[in-house]
Amino acid sequence: MSITSDILRGHTDAIILSHLLEQDSYGYQINKDIMRKTDNRCELKEATLYSAFRRLEQAGCIRTYWGDETVGARRRYYSITEEGRRAYQTYKQEWEEAKSAIDRLLK
Amino acid sequence: MNETAKKEKGMVTNMNERIRKHINELFADAPKTRKAAELKEEMAQNAIEKYQDLVNEGYQEEEAFRNVIGSIGDVTELFDGLKDQDPLAITEEDRKKKAMLISIAAGLYIFAGVTLIVCMVFCTTYFYREPQLNMLGLALAALICIPPTCMLVYAANRYPSYQKKEENFVEIYKETVSRRSREKSIQASVSIIVWMVTLIVYFLISFVSGRWDMSWITFLMGVCAQAGVTLIFNLRRSQ
Repeated sequence: MSITSDILRGHTDAIILSHLLEQDSYGYQINKDIMRKTDNRCELKEATLYSAFRRLEQAGCIRTYWGDETVGARRRYYSITEEGRRAYQTYKQEWEEAKSAIDRLLK
Repeated sequence: MNETAKKEKGMVTNMNERIRKHINELFADAPKTRKAAELKEEMAQNAIEKYQDLVNEGYQEEEAFRNVIGSIGDVTELFDGLKDQDPLAITEEDRKKKAMLISIAAGLYIFAGVTLIVCMVFCTTYFYREPQLNMLGLALAALICIPPTCMLVYAANRYPSYQKKEENFVEIYKETVSRRSREKSIQASVSIIVWMVTLIVYFLISFVSGRWDMSWITFLMGVCAQAGVTLIFNLRRSQ
């Protein structure tokens, strides 16, 4: 659990970008999605998530806008930029390489 | 609405307030910037939504609250990013620039006054046979008044007096009031410029043509220009 969490945290940026490739989203939804996809085994701390958002925003990989919910609090949505798509592709490629290397090393 | 529903709604509001309060406490040492306020709002919204999901899943309220709070983690690592220059906020440097502009403008106004007095004294001493020359001093003083007026208009435009900090009605109202007063100050400055230009044009025409009996018509034009300015500002406001 803790190793999985640690590895996951190291890839927060890529996980967020991957999620945003499908659709615009907001913090809680992304976290819910991570939990769903990992069968409730992993959940990012919110602080980790938000610092990743700020980092990605500063790098120009994502854009943010406030939703127009009429009921309850407004959500802050994020959407991926062209720069973000490029960053994701690079990341994905590097991950594939690392994965195959680790697979070979841990045989 | 029946009693139970009312009670439930009250409890939900209470819990939302409690979550907001907790997040506010976490941010007690954070820099007070717009970014910080936005992040707080974002976290509160997500936390409240999570809390409601947990309660719907059958969690006890207290349990759900503790779960939500527990998953926030250490927010202090976020504070550094919040210190970043907020392009909308009025900074210390801007405040200094604004103060400087205003002081220079005030200085120039005083200079204009001094010029006027010196010219008058000079003219009455050496050119007492040509009383019209007194007017030249007045024109000069009016001319000197133009740059400081423009500076004040610029300062009012460039460095807004009040910045919105949070998205709530009080802040939006305050901002509206501040914007109105800014518009008014700009309008006043434009009017001053209109009248000064009128005055200068009056003297110029008078001196060049020598037709002092006719040149007063310039002031009628000034009135027209002033009416135009008022009209433009009113149209903009009603939009």
